[in-house]
Amino acid sequence: MRIIKNVIDNLNGLMQKNKYLKTFKPVMNAMDEFFFGTDKVTSLPHIVDNMDIKRLMSFVIIALLPVTIASIYFWGLRVLLVIAVSYAFGGLIEVCFAIFRKKEIHEGFLVTGLIFPLILPPGVPLWVVAVGSMFGVMFGKEVFGGTGRNIFNPAIAGRIFLTIAFPDIMTMHWQMPFSKGLGGFIHFQNTVDAVTTATPLVMFKNQGVIAPYLNLMFGQSAGCIGETFRIGIILGGLFLIVMRIVDWRLPLAYLATVVIFPYISNHLIHTQFALGGFQLLSGGLLLGAFFMATDPVTSPFTKQGRWIAGFLLGFLTVLIRGLSGYVEGVMFSILLINAFTPLIDTMVLKVRYKKK
Amino acid sequence: MLKPVRTFRGGYEFKNFNGQARPVIIENQLPAMVTIPLKQGFGTELKSMVKKGDVVFAGQTIARDDSVVSSPIHSSVNGVVEEVRRVNYFKRQTAMVIIRTTNASKEIPRIEGCSLDWARLSNEKIEELIYLSGVSSLDREGIPTRFKSSIIPPEEVKHLIVHGVGSEPYNISLELLLKDKNLLNFLEGVKILKRIMPNSKVHLSLNVKKKNIIEQVAKLTSQLEWLDIYPLEPKYPQGYDEMLVPTILNQNFPYGYSAANIGVVILNIQAVLGVYEAVCEGKPFIERIIAICGPSIKDNLHIKVRVGTSLKDILAQRVKIETPVRVVMNSLLTGFQLNDISLPVDRTFSHVIAIPEKREREFLSFMKPGKTKDSYTRAFLAEMLPWVKRSPDTNKHGEERPCISCGFCERTCPVKIIPHLLAKYVQRNLIDETIMNYGIFNCIECGLCSYVCPSKISLMKIIKDGQDKLTMQGCDSAQCILPYFNLKGIEEYRGVTKL
Ligand code: SF4
Ligand code: SF4
Repeated sequence: MRIIKNVIDNLNGLMQKNKYLKTFKPVMNAMDEFFFGTDKVTSLPHIVDNMDIKRLMSFVIIALLPVTIASIYFWGLRVLLVIAVSYAFGGLIEVCFAIFRKKEIHEGFLVTGLIFPLILPPGVPLWVVAVGSMFGVMFGKEVFGGTGRNIFNPAIAGRIFLTIAFPDIMTMHWQMPFSKGLGGFIHFQNTVDAVTTATPLVMFKNQGVIAPYLNLMFGQSAGCIGETFRIGIILGGLFLIVMRIVDWRLPLAYLATVVIFPYISNHLIHTQFALGGFQLLSGGLLLGAFFMATDPVTSPFTKQGRWIAGFLLGFLTVLIRGLSGYVEGVMFSILLINAFTPLIDTMVLKVRYKKK
Repeated sequence: MLKPVRTFRGGYEFKNFNGQARPVIIENQLPAMVTIPLKQGFGTELKSMVKKGDVVFAGQTIARDDSVVSSPIHSSVNGVVEEVRRVNYFKRQTAMVIIRTTNASKEIPRIEGCSLDWARLSNEKIEELIYLSGVSSLDREGIPTRFKSSIIPPEEVKHLIVHGVGSEPYNISLELLLKDKNLLNFLEGVKILKRIMPNSKVHLSLNVKKKNIIEQVAKLTSQLEWLDIYPLEPKYPQGYDEMLVPTILNQNFPYGYSAANIGVVILNIQAVLGVYEAVCEGKPFIERIIAICGPSIKDNLHIKVRVGTSLKDILAQRVKIETPVRVVMNSLLTGFQLNDISLPVDRTFSHVIAIPEKREREFLSFMKPGKTKDSYTRAFLAEMLPWVKRSPDTNKHGEERPCISCGFCERTCPVKIIPHLLAKYVQRNLIDETIMNYGIFNCIECGLCSYVCPSKISLMKIIKDGQDKLTMQGCDSAQCILPYFNLKGIEEYRGVTKL
């Protein structure tokens, strides 16, 4: 603790003297706040909750840990590198904007930087990670004015950008996960010529094959880095809900719609729509529903709005998966509903505060 | 009759705070000097009837004015008037009578006409006793008597709510207030009040966790068909008038006005005990039971003090001085900060709370498990350790950040408005009818939204600013209330300056 304090003090001293270094003040402040907390005191009310944004974000990261660790096991140590690149380049943009705006650095990035790599394919080249992360933070968040004002979830924005810009890289090369022994913990990555396979969703689309649920649950399927270890995602999501950090309404509405809606649509168009259970356990649905659709900034804040958004998300996801050429139904629907969030809230408020 | 448990939507239960006052009471020694404010509790400020050099006795009326909404004020010691002067008391210049104690006798002369057999007294006499004792000035709108002690006459009272819910982080002990004979006295007090407010229904609301007391009260009152007992969840701010009315009466509250405007009188337990003591024992209301709470106090207990005793006399020897301390009156969420300890306590004090003023920074505080940290979220260890007491302090516990729309403030707001939405409008200076429509005037200033916000936004303050700005533009809470309520005593209400 002393040591860190000394380092920060010394650096601060340096900055006071040097004009160019001064611009990095926000970085120093962020570090200072990160380690030592605040010395401000309350006015009214005299006491405030111990929860702050740092802890809130830390808990989201804790909830993502099982998935992250599992993904290292499945895809090799390279995952760590991908995460590091995502943090480094996304962080760079964040810091640039903070310096540019002379504002503090906000903690929201800590979560984005981790979620983003989790929704990329395991074999993704590092430069693509860097580009996507930078794009996501810049156009998903900073152009709107930073944390709290963004309309789109930055991770989703980055991912969609990559899907459209580099469809080859993003959709063609899927690997099968390690499944034996220490797996990815002792390998850097699957050998390059490892079986290139398709994700369960694509397999269903092309061949009508339904992967065994147990495999899907425990990660034995192809897919993005962090989306396959579904049991971990569910546990992490429930953890956040129990901790009251995430509201249960939206995930419930979303998942319920995804399960129920295919039963109805299956009667109309066969084979296009997989059954609910499979829908639930395939693709990025669980990760999306628990960790991305619930991002408080970009989801409706009214309770009714959350129900509505959840329902629309489920509806869209199933439709896109079933009827369009893309299988990334979750991502596209979240992006779309993000755009509609303000509208949903406004409508709910209109109804609620109708002039008497 | 005992009713089922009730509660309201939103709110937050402050559990297990360290430094709750033990159910023990000691008498504070008689102060050498008292400072008696001429405005105490509900009512307008009065003019002193005594002047420098006058000899007064404990319980002597030193201010009374039957022509305005007020209740008499007494000297609380035997002594000599030293001075009458104006002092800044809770942000308002208030006249004070300063009396030097000359006779340390603890005797308090009785008010004439009191009788243990109160049933024989006339209504007029009972009301007079209540008025003369000063107890009629307690709580938000006083106790109605024929002497203009409240804004409505006693016959117009439709409901009398007596509450001992204790929903604050620190509460006066119900067990102590209703110990042994006090319980019977309390019930007598309730009967007396029913007698002078014949058209009222009486609702007794008690903390659902105090099963013993509820049982006893239920047994003792089973014969009274005009009395209902409501066990309520001790969820903050249940003790507010604004929450008691909808929870108990299923009625809307005219936010910004007082319960008396809709014919409801809300009293707490000390007030009812005061009524009993006034009518049956002839005791002027010059003593107050105060709970001394908070982790910065050496021994948390209750004390009985004379009105006008300075805070210094109360807190000396009691506060831990090793660390800086913040002293707060009555409520940690909304109470005044007591900076000047030369100020006196008056009839409205019920708690004095001292918590550490924590300016030191905590190393990696957000990563600590948080064994003693209270939070609306369940993300601290304290949530899992019900036997560990939580220690409050005044640190902000985090930096101010932009709102992330997490919705905690909306979920806890007891009056179902959306604090972060209103705050955003106010901060962007979009002050117009929209935010009035969104219910900005419904805010009861309970402070919960500011408490729970993880981004440390002072929502309550921003909302209050918004209200002020809106009022300056000519929108008024009256516009939201008057068309929907048939309010009584409005003229008087406007006449009485709000606290
Ligand atoms: S609690 Fe704070 S951060 Fe959360 S919605 Fe309300 S104002 Fe925004
Ligand atoms: S908006 Fe007002 S009533 Fe609602 S929680 Fe905040 S202070 Fe309390």
